[in-house]
Amino acid sequence: MTGLSDILHLLYTANLWQAALAAAVLLLLPALGGVISERSGVVNIAMEGMMLTGAFFGVVADLAWHNPWLATGVAILAGGLMALVHAVVSIRFHADQIVSGIAINIFAAGITVFLVNRIYGIQDVGHATQSELLPNFNVPGLDQLPFLGQVLFQQNVVVYAALILLVLVHIVLFRTRLGLRIRAVGEHPQAADTAGINVYLIRYGAVVTSGFLSGLAGAFLAIGVSNTFVPNMTDGRGYIALAAMIFGKWTPFGAFVACLIFGLGQAIYDNNSIIHVSPYLLSMLPYILTLVVLAGLVGRSSPPAADGIPYVPGSE
Amino acid sequence: MTIVRRVVGGLAMPLGSVVFAFVVGGLIVAATGGNPFSAYAGLVCGGFGIGCTQGENPALQISNTIVFLTPLITTGVAVALPFRAGLFNIGAEGQLLAGSMACTAIGIKFSSLPTPILLPMVLLGGMVAGALWAGVAGVLKATVGAHEVVTTIMMNYIAQWLLRYLIIGGPLQLAAGTSKSLPIGPGARLATLLPSDNSLIVFGLPASVYRVHSGLFIAIVAAAVFAFLLWRTTLGYEIRAVGQSQRAARYAGVSVRRTIIVTMLIAGAFSGLAGAIQIAGVDHNLTDKYFSDTTGFDAIAVALLGLGSAVGIVLASLLFGALHAGGSVMQSDAGISSNLVLVLQALILFSIAANFLGAIRQLIPGLRRQAGAPPPETPAAALMTEAAAASEPGSQAT
Repeated sequence: MTGLSDILHLLYTANLWQAALAAAVLLLLPALGGVISERSGVVNIAMEGMMLTGAFFGVVADLAWHNPWLATGVAILAGGLMALVHAVVSIRFHADQIVSGIAINIFAAGITVFLVNRIYGIQDVGHATQSELLPNFNVPGLDQLPFLGQVLFQQNVVVYAALILLVLVHIVLFRTRLGLRIRAVGEHPQAADTAGINVYLIRYGAVVTSGFLSGLAGAFLAIGVSNTFVPNMTDGRGYIALAAMIFGKWTPFGAFVACLIFGLGQAIYDNNSIIHVSPYLLSMLPYILTLVVLAGLVGRSSPPAADGIPYVPGSE
Repeated sequence: MTIVRRVVGGLAMPLGSVVFAFVVGGLIVAATGGNPFSAYAGLVCGGFGIGCTQGENPALQISNTIVFLTPLITTGVAVALPFRAGLFNIGAEGQLLAGSMACTAIGIKFSSLPTPILLPMVLLGGMVAGALWAGVAGVLKATVGAHEVVTTIMMNYIAQWLLRYLIIGGPLQLAAGTSKSLPIGPGARLATLLPSDNSLIVFGLPASVYRVHSGLFIAIVAAAVFAFLLWRTTLGYEIRAVGQSQRAARYAGVSVRRTIIVTMLIAGAFSGLAGAIQIAGVDHNLTDKYFSDTTGFDAIAVALLGLGSAVGIVLASLLFGALHAGGSVMQSDAGISSNLVLVLQALILFSIAANFLGAIRQLIPGLRRQAGAPPPETPAAALMTEAAAASEPGSQAT
């Protein structure tokens, strides 16, 4: 069992946990988006596409203006715009939300590479030149703590932002009137409508927010963790975020725990040079774990009652 | 008269969606400084061998289209059949990969066996592997009500990583440093329609460059089997009954659990067959090309555009096969990235799902339906009403 002891040895290094937290945040942002969207009753499997769109437009804006902050704003808006398409199609046109989500993901994969080709004239490679990066930030004082300092307080700015957003989303969803409304709309839209809540408005807001969060994750990926756009660079992270959302039973902190587990797996994977287990087998783990959770072996995980059902006023 | 109207009405939606996609796609090309007409001319040349200007060989282009459409038919069926039972199989891709992996493994392990024994073995092996892959989702749906969309997505990724493991450092790897498998034995290969003979010249090219293979006929038979199964057998009746209303099906004495599991098993077998045919007929080994294969996702568009019927699926496969074959010609001739094909595909999906056509019709006074008529339901929603209802807690499959 050399593989296992190698992993155990890795687990003692702060480097690993630092990387794990960053990897977890890449998943956490779209997962939080998924939680918000699905809590309002709109199934969202399109985080992958929204993230990819954000990554692409983030790089484009960064190359144009050499300002990562502005670029991040553009990425967030681009993600939100893709989400708005999903929202209009699913809410206004009562479309099947899964088909719409698949369409978003395919559209994003196609349009980004198409535009790379149109803008930079590169045939299907998609490598733009270097861009200005979102900086790391060491929290003064705290970053000197042994072990924890490196793991928690020597991170990219997006990591801190994501952790704040995590708490914020939890508070909004479970401690405010707005959160109560979002959850009401997702559980029983007819009743919510009767109580005077604007079902469509809440759902539009929730879906577009999921796009903002996914777009931010895309920016972190393209101009934080790496510094270029590569075709399909999200590499299934939006789908792992979906798994994390389910794993976490549609709650922000549950999703965060799942993201940490998956992020740790990713970090171990990235250190594969010193372990002897095939990294590819290791990569299956998030998906297998999610199936195990779905099978009810670790307690039931069921979606909000009206998740995925278009709301038509007056219908029962 | 009503039959004519129904046929025309049935064709209007898919044709309208395709037109919508091409118009919007053309606008995107034009808005980014390209010429949509030359882009589409490239697609038509690459897909159907018509109107080529850069010396492409029409016969070769048609051959490529047929190679692309073959797996789309079988995976299209694998998505359409569960649709009828109210199940959404997003896992055709994973099931296809499972089929191709099983086919390759068997084709390598027993590479010395003769064709009459080995070829059925690899094809059946692929079907069994695909069926098992889909069966996981079927069993989880039928027993604990886990949503098949989520479970099939997970199974897709498990298949992707298993594939990487097998051919990069795993037991099927050709040699260290490569990312492909050993080739399958000669007995495991499907015959090409033309002999692979360089001295025989067909339509101006050596016969060996045409990759069209006998898997096409298997795929067409699969589509016919699908139609027969759905409309002429008890199981088909049960599948449709479960799709219409699980409660009513239960009252009629149909075991909903059993039907869900059997439907997914059969669907997976169709996808697995597609994967096995790709290996046995085209590639003869697993390569990293399969890492980015999207056949199983294209199949969703095929099934929806084909309105879940066998004939529709074959026609929609022809369209998407031609788009795939045409993409590369469009890129080389017109300088438009072949990724435009993905954009078109997504637009077709949006249009079908949202029934933009119905919305547009409402805006044109002459075409507006009489007041009081119920709004036309979107086909995807009609196919999936039960899938949505089944995700409600308390109405889980029992």
